[in-house]
Amino acid sequence: MKTIAHLWNALPGPDQVKRLVIIFALLLSCWFALRQRLVPKTFGDAGHYRLTAIDSIEAQPVSYLGQSVCVECHDDVSDLKSASYHRDLSCEICHGPGAMHLEDPETYQLRPPKGRGLCTICHAYNPSRPTGFPQIDPMQHNPLEPCNNCHDPHDPTPPSTPEECGACHGEIARTKAISHHAGLNCVYCHETPDEHKHNPRAAIPHKPANRQFCGACHGENANSGREIPRIDLESHGGSNLCWECHYPHYPEAY
Amino acid sequence: MHWGILIVVYPYITGLVAGAFILASLERVFNVKEIMPTYRLSLLTALSFLLIAPLPLLLHLGHPERFYEIMITPHLQSAMAMFGFVYVWYLMMVLILEIWFEYRQDLVVLAREESGLKKYFYYLLTLGSLDLSEKSLQFDKKAVGFITILGIPSAFILHGYVGFIFGSIKANPWWSSVLIPIVFLFSAIVSGIALMVLIYGISTLLRGKSINMPCMDKLATYLLNALIIDLSLETLDFIHRVYESVESIHIMGQMISQKLFISLIVVQLMLGTLLPIVLIVVTKTFNVPAELRRLVYFMAAIFVQIGIFSTRWNVVIGGQLFSKSLRGLTNYKMELLGIEGLLISIGLLILPVVILIVMIKILPPWKEDIGAAS
Ligand code: HEC
Ligand code: HEC
Ligand code: HEC
Ligand code: HEC
Ligand code: HEC
Ligand code: HEC
Ligand code: HEC
Ligand code: HEC
Repeated sequence: MKTIAHLWNALPGPDQVKRLVIIFALLLSCWFALRQRLVPKTFGDAGHYRLTAIDSIEAQPVSYLGQSVCVECHDDVSDLKSASYHRDLSCEICHGPGAMHLEDPETYQLRPPKGRGLCTICHAYNPSRPTGFPQIDPMQHNPLEPCNNCHDPHDPTPPSTPEECGACHGEIARTKAISHHAGLNCVYCHETPDEHKHNPRAAIPHKPANRQFCGACHGENANSGREIPRIDLESHGGSNLCWECHYPHYPEAY
Repeated sequence: MHWGILIVVYPYITGLVAGAFILASLERVFNVKEIMPTYRLSLLTALSFLLIAPLPLLLHLGHPERFYEIMITPHLQSAMAMFGFVYVWYLMMVLILEIWFEYRQDLVVLAREESGLKKYFYYLLTLGSLDLSEKSLQFDKKAVGFITILGIPSAFILHGYVGFIFGSIKANPWWSSVLIPIVFLFSAIVSGIALMVLIYGISTLLRGKSINMPCMDKLATYLLNALIIDLSLETLDFIHRVYESVESIHIMGQMISQKLFISLIVVQLMLGTLLPIVLIVVTKTFNVPAELRRLVYFMAAIFVQIGIFSTRWNVVIGGQLFSKSLRGLTNYKMELLGIEGLLISIGLLILPVVILIVMIKILPPWKEDIGAAS
């Protein structure tokens, strides 16, 4: 006992520091010992990770096949798709993981989700999408109808530019459809060059320009259906254009 | 959103640690006698908050049980992975050592005077170093001085490090700025001083003692100076951004005027910075009676705490409120009960206070209490 005390005092440095050094040395050796025990054997062999982790990841079941595999049996679809705007999408992004399907195509079908939800993941309007990315407002763009009715998912460009005005002017068409003017064709009031349907901005349809246009049906002496309400074209509404007070696609008599 | 309220709590807590420690260091290094009453209290506060500092990170990462891996397989090139070492350095080499040397004399006295289990407990804390000779006490003093000097850069590193993590994310225009570590540092000092105003005031009142007004006045002066530096830095950063006007400026402007208006303009700037500055300046210029002065300092400190918390919020949450393509703003919806939710965060902010209370019981910061025990 004496000799230990003697040795202790013989060590250089103040008493406090000697004791602290012991504590810190203990902690440090703990750290080294833990490192020995806890660091996995193959850690660091090929980088800052456990090399055998690769084996355990490899052992996980494969669930995705990759597009190149689907192509072997579905070359018709892939030919179609690779020439379309969807060429960069992998099959499984819509159809889901295909490994089971490869084993038994008859039992495990890769039916993508029905309805509009799938397409709107990528196409619903969102300001942070890249400029020019085709986007729609699902509330406005042909609501309720499944997208597949008009767009082939493997070649989404609409097969032909639509003939009906409503495909592009949906809101007006839907408004007019429930108005007193439901029976009137768009082209009755808008003389529309055919070119407008293919290249809308290059050929602008005609719009009614004066009160006489409406007067042709609504004037006192107009030669039109008897059910049509009449007004005095001279006095009614002053000299204002009719559509300053009546929305032509949904006319109301207040 | 990836970083939620837990990551707001984390820089808030480390800021309090660094701030409280730097305040304590002022007393030691520059020998400011007035704030002596807060010295030990600041050290204990820093320790209590430091003990909790890693918790928000561990909870956020989702595998708290793997905490030790950061220590045993250090990744030297990753700033985030170095956290463990920054933390341990600060905890072991700075705070605990300084507290030990500062308290050694008292620990020996307590070990002699207490009885039963307590005696052994204090004996253990002294590490058996019972020498109370003049020479040995003199050494303790020197050691504390030395560690303080080592501690100031360490405290700067601890919180500057947190700022560095954000400032070095170059893909995020809200964070990426060399000024961020420095701004973090000064907001840390601000929050630490304000915290000590509160803790010193409340603990003194609870003990039924009277508050040492010169100390409070000095703290308020420091708080004012730190606030002004902090505000200048933030303004500099702001002007710099506006002048540079890189492409992100539009979305940042939208974010500030829409999503962050309340938390940045109203809470951080007006309530948390300008109002405390005005309050303190007014009390300093006019001859305000001590009673009222105390109250004003208190209010200022509370406003500063709220302000600094929203500073952290604005940095962490703000940095994620715009899309990475800079085209639009996003939302943050806070959980209430989840592991990354509000309740846990409140718990994490209360926990250090509980630890501090226990700590004060074990290591009384007031010299007279140790005398009274005898
Ligand atoms: C080994 C060849 C093979 C491969 C590879 C393969 N399939 Fe098939 N797939 C089939 C056969 C055969 C059917 C027809 C099953 C039936 O009609 O009952 C089928 C059916 C389908 C159907 C349903 C067709 C329908 O009419 O409802 C889809 C969808 C489908 N496959 C998608 C995929 C996708 C996506 C991949 C790639 C991940 C893929 N397949 C890979 C052979 C294959
Ligand atoms: C944009 C999402 C999407 C992508 C990408 C996609 N599909 Fe489809 N696929 C669908 C949808 C939706 C249907 C269902 C069509 C229906 O029910 O009318 C479908 C149907 C099918 C069918 C059933 C028969 C048919 O021709 O309609 C096959 C086979 C098929 N897909 C194979 C593939 C393969 C192979 C690929 C990759 C080359 C692929 N799909 C990529 C969405 C997609
Ligand atoms: C995984 C994302 C994704 C999904 C899901 C998706 N698309 Fe697309 N879509 C794209 C991309 C990418 C483009 C090409 C954009 C480009 O070239 O700028 C595109 C283009 C289009 C176009 C524009 C074609 C043109 O002529 O301009 C239409 C229409 C379209 N998709 C419809 C659909 C429909 C309908 C569905 C649902 C069956 C769907 N998309 C599902 C990503 C997706
Ligand atoms: C009633 C048929 C119809 C339905 C149903 C329909 N679309 Fe369309 N869609 C069209 C037509 C026609 C066009 C081309 C005219 C145009 O550019 O507006 C088009 C255009 C698009 C475009 C390209 C827009 C652009 O700016 O280039 C996208 C994307 C699109 N549709 C997605 C969808 C999605 C997603 C759905 C389902 C939620 C859907 N469509 C449902 C008929 C339809
Ligand atoms: C392929 C889509 C498409 C179809 C089909 C289409 N339009 Fe248009 N139309 C447009 C677009 C796009 C504009 C907007 C042009 C602009 O603002 O420069 C437009 C503008 C108009 C205008 C307003 C012109 C103006 O001076 O403001 C009228 C009227 C019009 N269309 C009527 C029709 C009628 C009637 C039909 C059916 C016979 C029709 N459109 C079919 C896309 C279409
Ligand atoms: C009763 C006659 C009438 C009918 C029927 C009619 N419109 Fe119009 N439309 C007008 C008049 C009048 C204007 C001019 C309004 C103005 O200038 O403020 C107009 C304006 C427009 C415009 C441009 C201004 C706007 O509101 O966007 C479009 C596009 C348009 N019509 C599309 C259509 C379509 C598509 C249909 C068929 C679904 C249709 N219109 C049916 C009378 C009609
Ligand atoms: C081709 C004939 C025709 C033309 C041209 C026409 N309308 Fe009409 N209008 C009708 C018919 C048919 C009704 C419905 C009568 C009924 O309710 O049975 C109607 C009803 C109305 C009503 C009454 C709605 C109500 O609440 O009772 C107003 C207002 C109106 N039209 C305004 C206009 C305006 C403005 C124009 C010019 C842009 C116009 N119409 C052009 C045929 C026409
Ligand atoms: C200054 C606004 C204004 C203008 C311009 C105007 N109207 Fe009217 N219109 C009204 C109001 C208000 C009513 C309902 C009260 C009434 O019957 O006088 C009405 C009613 C009508 C009715 C329904 C009459 C009935 O007996 O149910 C028709 C049809 C009509 N207007 C057509 C037109 C036509 C066609 C024009 C252009 C020549 C036109 N309006 C211009 C304000 C206007």
